[in-house]
Amino acid sequence: MLYIFKFPDIGEGVTEGKILEWFVKKGQKISEGDPVVKMETDKVVADIPSPRSGVIKNIFGKVGDTINVDDALVEIEIAGDEAGDEMEIKKKEVPVEEEGYGVIGHIEDATTDAFLPATGEGLENNADKVAATVKTKIMATPVARKMAKDLGLDINEITGTGPAGRVMKIDIQRAFSQKQGADSLSVKPIADRSISTQAVSIPSGGKTEELSQIRKTIAARMVESKFTAPHATSFEEVEISRLVEIREEIKERFSGDGIRITYMPFILKATALALKNHPKLNCHLDMKNNRVIYNDKYNIGIAIDTPDGLIVPVINNADTKSIVELAAELKDKSNRARQRKLTLDELRGNTFSVTNYGSIAGIYGAPIINYPDVAILGVGRIHKKPIVKNDQIVPGNILPLSLAVDHRIVDGADAARFLRELMEYLAEPVSMLLL
Amino acid sequence: MKVIEKEKVQIFDAFNPFQGQRLKIMNPDGEIINDQWMPDITENRIIEAYKNMLYARIVDLKAVSFQRQGRLYTLPSNFGQEAAAVGSAMAIRRDDWLVPAYRELGAWLTHGLTALDYFLYVGGSEEGCRFGDDVKMAPFSVPISSQLTHAAGLGHAVNYKNGKEVVLTYFGDGGTSEGDFHESMNWAAVFGCPVIFFCNNNGYAISLPRDKQSKVEMLAQKAIGYGMPGIQVDGNDFFAVYKATSEAAAYARSGNGPVMIEAVTYRRGAHTTSDDPGRYRPGEEEKEWESRDPLLRFRAYLEKRELWNQEKEDKFSEQSKKDIDNQFAEYEARGNTPLEDIFSYMYKDMPDLLKHQMIELQSFQSRRKDE
Amino acid sequence: MAVMNLVQAVNSAIDEKLADDENVLVFGEDVGRNGGVFRATDGLQDKYGEKRVFDTPLAESSIIGAGVGMAMNGLRPICEIQFSGFIYPAFNQIISHVSRMRYRSRGTRTASMVIRAPYGGGIRALESHSESAEAIYGHVPGLKVVIPSTPYDAKGLLISAIEDDDPVLFLEPKKIYRAIKQDVPEKLYRIKIGKASVLQEGEQLTLIAYGAMIKPSQQAIQMAKKEGYSIELIDLRTIFPLDKETVIASVKKTGRMVVVHEAPRSFGVGAELMALANEDAFLYLEAPPTRVTGADTIVPLPKGEDLYFPDAERIFDAIRKTIKF
Repeated sequence: MLYIFKFPDIGEGVTEGKILEWFVKKGQKISEGDPVVKMETDKVVADIPSPRSGVIKNIFGKVGDTINVDDALVEIEIAGDEAGDEMEIKKKEVPVEEEGYGVIGHIEDATTDAFLPATGEGLENNADKVAATVKTKIMATPVARKMAKDLGLDINEITGTGPAGRVMKIDIQRAFSQKQGADSLSVKPIADRSISTQAVSIPSGGKTEELSQIRKTIAARMVESKFTAPHATSFEEVEISRLVEIREEIKERFSGDGIRITYMPFILKATALALKNHPKLNCHLDMKNNRVIYNDKYNIGIAIDTPDGLIVPVINNADTKSIVELAAELKDKSNRARQRKLTLDELRGNTFSVTNYGSIAGIYGAPIINYPDVAILGVGRIHKKPIVKNDQIVPGNILPLSLAVDHRIVDGADAARFLRELMEYLAEPVSMLLL
Repeated sequence: MKVIEKEKVQIFDAFNPFQGQRLKIMNPDGEIINDQWMPDITENRIIEAYKNMLYARIVDLKAVSFQRQGRLYTLPSNFGQEAAAVGSAMAIRRDDWLVPAYRELGAWLTHGLTALDYFLYVGGSEEGCRFGDDVKMAPFSVPISSQLTHAAGLGHAVNYKNGKEVVLTYFGDGGTSEGDFHESMNWAAVFGCPVIFFCNNNGYAISLPRDKQSKVEMLAQKAIGYGMPGIQVDGNDFFAVYKATSEAAAYARSGNGPVMIEAVTYRRGAHTTSDDPGRYRPGEEEKEWESRDPLLRFRAYLEKRELWNQEKEDKFSEQSKKDIDNQFAEYEARGNTPLEDIFSYMYKDMPDLLKHQMIELQSFQSRRKDE
Repeated sequence: MAVMNLVQAVNSAIDEKLADDENVLVFGEDVGRNGGVFRATDGLQDKYGEKRVFDTPLAESSIIGAGVGMAMNGLRPICEIQFSGFIYPAFNQIISHVSRMRYRSRGTRTASMVIRAPYGGGIRALESHSESAEAIYGHVPGLKVVIPSTPYDAKGLLISAIEDDDPVLFLEPKKIYRAIKQDVPEKLYRIKIGKASVLQEGEQLTLIAYGAMIKPSQQAIQMAKKEGYSIELIDLRTIFPLDKETVIASVKKTGRMVVVHEAPRSFGVGAELMALANEDAFLYLEAPPTRVTGADTIVPLPKGEDLYFPDAERIFDAIRKTIKF
């Protein structure tokens, strides 16, 4: 007679186990006590012994399967009548089945004596199950769902203002702006204006060009940065005649190695050193969690103008690099930026950024902070200008600086103090040597 | 409208189903009881006929055995119907059409099919119906009697092209109840199609006995309803079957239109390997028909004339078994149907829709293999 | 209660109704003496006599057509067609008469009858024995189409079908005729036609199947569980009229839908359900509804069968793709 051996409760609250190894196969003779299977539970790995002697008729489950306590493990054909054992399944009277009828084909037989219980549906004493209250999801069009996903938002947490509470695109935009650190003032984000649906009238006849991926990204980043962080900009001039002299002296020495010493390596170095004493300008603002993260690295992003648009490679650990190293890296990165050969890693990780529009034109600027930084230094065109020195009017070499900061975390005084130190280094370059 | 005088064929007059007359030539003991109707057939051809029947029986029994071993799927039994199959198929030419149902193995093998083709078909491959140019057969037909309309159409086309072929088509006693039987017989008669409607009356349609299938005394009587001759023959008598079919073929080939032949035989086996005849027919009946077996009597006839003996029987059986085993091995070597074939034969040019489904399935299968 | 497999449950349902209603009769090929090739009518002729349980000649069109006539004259015929692939000779009767009788006579003549047939494939059979044409019948107005997946459901649904005043096409998935054993009440009980059954509740995806596809669907759900997915399984049970309410409520909850059927893909039950999801649950969808089906080809003979029918892995693949959309 067939005996189904089920995965026993081996105690300690174990409810399921994973089959690690079978010790038997179909048709094999086993004796009471022989191990049948090796099971892994969250408490122990155990060999399960057979409670009976007989022949294995069927094995349920494969190595790697997870089964529950009381699931069938093996079917054993045991000899003789062994009535009255509580572990045995009650066998119901099943009609004897004919072998292989059906005219055509092969119909598989239920392999064990085990059977499903009745569901009770349709019987008088079994009222139809009351439908559970239907839990539904947020309503939104697939387009809106995708937008939320792209912006990294959980659409189920967005309140919908559309028909019947539908989440509209505008709701997602709002949620996104809020995520960027909107404070409790609940100011309507200016970003909304960018998705205005008012018809604009443009004169006809112009050329239409689809936005490139870079341009789209730049556009998005600019909106994100400018309309999330309240920018405050300070302007300063630093007299760099000393720097001009030094640069003249050394540039010959290195030109043979193909290294062009411009002012930028000095500016980078000075910036990095100044940031060390003004961590407020080298941090990251996490409004979602109401905290500020001070970076211990000084990775400066350099804005490079390329034919495809603005690209900002990062010079890591600018504080540890020499002028020559900085110059070399600058050259390499800006070349590769123009050739679109930078890696993704080289375009991120910035803690502060510098933009040198002055190399083309522009004295003062109001640059847009490169998120996730909190500040950006704009470098203007170095030019000669009359200055007052020792109460005399003399020609001076002026380097204009424009520093934009995120006024949520950087106050005007912090910005000013940083600028003052930066200017000291640039005005007297030898001081950079000493630190 | 000119009425074409139909040829009067003696044999159709001599054996009138409305008078309960059945054509018998060789009795169950192998004796010729009706010499005047013996067909014109050489000794060699007679021996060939017996060999065809014996070969067909061996293929059939081996197939059933392979099925029991799980190496073939459900298949119909041909046991006991060899004379009806071989006798009729040998009476037509190789370039005549044969439109089968599914229980005429002896006829198919005679008409050019191989045991390999048969194994492929009952082994579950469409390759079994990929007939060569020299096998003028329609594919096997499962829906009962539906093939009779095709037979009528095939015959119609022969006339259309001024051809001289005939169409030999098979169905069972059960098949005479289907609507398609009525429509096909009618069409063929109305248009004078050269079709031999050959009814294998083996006594049962699965479990329904012949007398519950129809109230006519002889199924051959039905022919009159369509204006064609009908004749009943002893289906286990090779000569009777051969004679009737030859006459019918000559009649049809001469432009006289269709003929119905009812061959009375017995399905000694089950309907298919998944059927249990013990449920619906008595054992005595089966025993009775054992003594009327077509091979038994034919062998007796041959041995009486010293055209056959035990040694020849053993030798031929051995040879046949070897040959069939080889073909079976070939079948087993063919394996499963490739995925592309499932899609390639739907349309002449595979529509894009189908191409995409095929590619989708292919990529899933190869991904599955990788995992 | 008795333990029965699906074909035994069918037998039990017919037995109950033959006893309960003297106008019920059963006929078809080999159903009397032989008890049906699958034994669905086993023992019934002995019990109720040849007048009520009888064998017909080999002629499907007349089996259905005579059934129409009987129904018109007040009887409740249960017509057995031996395999669903042999319904085709009776197609004209079904479409031209069975489905239209009530409509054309404004209810004065009704085709209150059941047409039962084993259907579906995966049984290693010859041609015509693996058909799945439920979508075709679902598309014919005037018919009801029912496909049970368990013995308990089969009996309850068949009793409802026999009692239904409309014609019901009762398709029995022969692949699982003997594969499931279940406790089934030994008395009359009814399961409503047009009501789907939620076999398992889940949160992330609604898997809809019926007939022999329930088992591989359950296996796929086990595979999905290992990846931490929570899948809701609905057994459609009735193809027409579809239980839109249950399906839509579920899709609104989970936001994702996969339909499984062995019938060919185009113009099938899957297409219909996807259309409904689109119409009534569009705003709740997280991913496009999809279907796992047989291909738009003839069902291959046994040597090609395994590639054709959806199995647990194909279903799981669709589940995973949909959740990861």
